Amino acid sequence: MKWSFKQHSVIPGFSLALGFTVLYLSLVVLIPLSTIFIKTAGLSWVQFWETISSPRVLASFRLSFGASFIAALVNTLFGLLVAWVLVRYRFPGKGLVDALVDLPFALPTAVGGIALTTIYAENGLLGSLLARVGIKAAFTPLGIVIALTFIGLPFVVRTVQPVLQELDAEMEEASACLGATRLQTFCRVILPTLLPALLTGFALAFARALGEYGSVVFISGNMPMKTEILPLMIMTKLEQFDFAGATAIAVVMLVASFVFLLLINLLQWWSARREA
Amino acid sequence: MSIQVQHITKQFGDFAALDGINLEIPTGELVALLGPSGSGKTTLLRIIAGLETADGGNILFHGSDATTQSVRERNIGFVFQHYALFRHMTVFENIAFGLRVRPRKLRPPKQEIADRVHELLRLVQLEGLAKRYPAQLSGGQRQRVALARALAVEPTVLLLDEPFGALDAQVRVELRRWLRRLHDELKITGVFVTHDQEEALEVADRVVVMNRGRIEQVGTPTEVYDQPASPFVYNFLGNVNLFHGRVHDGKIEIDSAAHAGVTVGDRDTAATVGYVRAHDLDVDRVAKDVSSMAAVVRHIHAVGSSVRIDLTLQVSNEPAEAQISRERHEELSLSVGEQVFVTPRRVKFFGDYQI
Repeated sequence: MKWSFKQHSVIPGFSLALGFTVLYLSLVVLIPLSTIFIKTAGLSWVQFWETISSPRVLASFRLSFGASFIAALVNTLFGLLVAWVLVRYRFPGKGLVDALVDLPFALPTAVGGIALTTIYAENGLLGSLLARVGIKAAFTPLGIVIALTFIGLPFVVRTVQPVLQELDAEMEEASACLGATRLQTFCRVILPTLLPALLTGFALAFARALGEYGSVVFISGNMPMKTEILPLMIMTKLEQFDFAGATAIAVVMLVASFVFLLLINLLQWWSARREA
Repeated sequence: MSIQVQHITKQFGDFAALDGINLEIPTGELVALLGPSGSGKTTLLRIIAGLETADGGNILFHGSDATTQSVRERNIGFVFQHYALFRHMTVFENIAFGLRVRPRKLRPPKQEIADRVHELLRLVQLEGLAKRYPAQLSGGQRQRVALARALAVEPTVLLLDEPFGALDAQVRVELRRWLRRLHDELKITGVFVTHDQEEALEVADRVVVMNRGRIEQVGTPTEVYDQPASPFVYNFLGNVNLFHGRVHDGKIEIDSAAHAGVTVGDRDTAATVGYVRAHDLDVDRVAKDVSSMAAVVRHIHAVGSSVRIDLTLQVSNEPAEAQISRERHEELSLSVGEQVFVTPRRVKFFGDYQI
């Protein structure tokens, strides 16, 4: 039998559609990203290493990865709670709450950043309350975590919600019939079913937080060695016309993003294999 | 363990799902709750299980009140229509679940759990599938895993909600006979819900026929089939002909044929309905007696162990269905359009009743 790419279909246009897809992805994604590697290749290994291991860059690596991790963790916990409330309970204004979840998606991130800074600044609405107990939110790593939590919330909620919706209520009833307590039912029956979705949501929120710029630069204060995030480091290098240095940091972030994409796909493959 | 249901009521909004149900299920019996959808049978089962709370009334297990007990405390085995297996667990883990969630003091040691699971797998004839996930099993296999899982905790009562409803016809028949044998072996008190009269009559020791939140009749399969207590039961169990007639001079007239010996009081010219099972209707070329009615053959279904004949009564134009043996059919050699006489062997009259 002759092997062929083409499969019989009632809708024609396989060659045209595939050709356009490849061209489109190349123009929009592949070519711009590959220039980062080409530009970085202008540096020698030593220069590359020096750029990414300078104390200031290292500090921002730690900050960006650390804050993103904490924010994604917080989002996983509270995103699950929000999704649970939205799926399991009926209450007035539910539609509004559901829509609110998407707000961080829709809002220009700079608007979010300014709003958060205003509220969490020492003379702001929440900032003044926090200041009273001795916590400084704006212009500290805590502020960065808050901003990253804000922009990452929809990811966990929107990945967990459909899975929770499809969760068979009978499975919980079966668990109770077999003598499991509510906590046991949650930990042994519900959580394992939600785990792939939770991990996917976590990875998405983490990846998004890593690259976030707009909402963070206002609340972080951008103090060298203290509150400079990675995207800001790239901006700074660019402003100093250190293009190779900027792309070196970009390469590291790009590789990190790839690793995360790979992890997400592995997760989905793993959970699909078990339930297929 | 016996189950007593006392004055159970349940309301869903304006709809009375259960309207004062009283029922007693003796120890060791397998009882079927039979009725059309919306009759309240599943609600009753779920209230017995404790998955649903009743608005009023009591549930007694072995004489002691269990109404306020939670599902966990009732120690029942429940089998769901769509299996409700834990998808992320293997067959082994599914069956072991009930033993593993026990408080540490009551939890059997690991080896004992494994032995028990393998014993149950043997019982449900699924040895060798312990490591599979539910998604890798067929419908019939999944339902047997669900049954093994329910039995693992050694429940005092086994409750099954339309256990064969989601299976295809052949597997269903096979599995229900197997369930009957299993019950004879284990002798556990069991209640199962079904809307399939054939299933209820074949499997159960006793059948509870339900309609609109009430119990219409309780009896052995033979009792409910041969002596239906109401037109509803007559209708729901088996093929039945409805003949509309009137009471005239104390006698019932259907299609101008008199039904001697049957009187329904003194309400002259009152309407009545006669119920005749398809296999209680004789077909002849000549009128046998005064109760014979002229009819025209419309269609003959000659597939299966008996022959079904669709007819139309000549006077009232009402449709009728007769079921005769193959031998009788060969003897008569009827053809479509022919005029015949039908004579009911057994008629049961109920007052003017509309289904």
